[in-house]
Amino acid sequence: MNTMAAPAVPRWKTALNMIINPGEVVKSQMTKVPWPYSLTVSGLSFTLFFLQTGLDLQRNGQIEASGVVLMAMLGLLYGTVGVALMAVMVWALSQAGQRGLNMEWAISAFALGYSATFIYALSGLVFSLAFGWKTAVAFGVTGVLWALRPTLYTIKQMSGERVAFSIAMTTLCGAILLIGWALLGRFGA
Amino acid sequence: MDTKLGYAGGAGSDGVKLWPAYLCFIIFGILIPFSQPEFKFTTMIYSVIVALVVGLLAVNLLILVFNSGNAALRQTDGGFAREAVGTGMLFMIPFTALAIMALAMLGWNAIMPFASAAITTAAATAGTEAMKRGAQGVKNVMIPSLVAIVLSTGWMMLTAILP
Repeated sequence: MNTMAAPAVPRWKTALNMIINPGEVVKSQMTKVPWPYSLTVSGLSFTLFFLQTGLDLQRNGQIEASGVVLMAMLGLLYGTVGVALMAVMVWALSQAGQRGLNMEWAISAFALGYSATFIYALSGLVFSLAFGWKTAVAFGVTGVLWALRPTLYTIKQMSGERVAFSIAMTTLCGAILLIGWALLGRFGA
Repeated sequence: MDTKLGYAGGAGSDGVKLWPAYLCFIIFGILIPFSQPEFKFTTMIYSVIVALVVGLLAVNLLILVFNSGNAALRQTDGGFAREAVGTGMLFMIPFTALAIMALAMLGWNAIMPFASAAITTAAATAGTEAMKRGAQGVKNVMIPSLVAIVLSTGWMMLTAILP
């Protein structure tokens, strides 16, 4: 009898795999990632993204330092509460519960998809602080776009591989995120 | 109602629709000149031609990659590569729709990041679709992604030198 259990994949590796091979992660590894961990990833991603937005606005003279902090806090809220709400909306619309996928799974898979956003946001922040570049669109928006691939695979899994539904929902999620960011940017300013 | 586009009736390669992919490339070609400081109609014509060439290259190179890397599967199902590419390239649609929204509603002048993400995501998805049809190995995702990165980089460079 083989008593040796397969070694558990470290969570940071699962987060990186979500960038490289999201289809595989969504199918087989998401049950091992708790939703608070995934929300930490998405929360940090959007905090850094919104922080860069704030820094860009500050360089334009539109906000003060306190506004930059406010923007970062809005990012944290957006990346945790906002992403979780969006995941729950898609979970309900795709009737994923009937396929044995619960709400926690949906939140965790959706949120971990923002690993790519985190990498882009971190790189953007380095360029923003070191060279004074305006990085919110170049790095932040690009990072959000790269997160659409894991989102797509998550929705496909939740909807039972319905392609048309997955395309429509991915477009809706992307639109909500980008419009929301644009509106919050104006609010913060 | 069958919502599984590209799977309708378990279609062979004759039922594969590639026009949505080409339409996405054409739309990107039209949008790109609007994101530049000064709009010129001739630039748009060149941009659409470049986008169509990139689209034709992307579709045909991916079919070639899948066919040459999965000879055994090709013998049993000759249309698998075309089907996989047809379905995978449908996933350019969200990025195309978001690019239109970004330009028209939000007034952003950055279209290429949308195009780049679109082509790379679609190529990788075509790879997973090929694997779903029996293609073996991660190479079916990695090589298409590499092809897409090379093509999108070339597209970006050509866009930068448009007259």
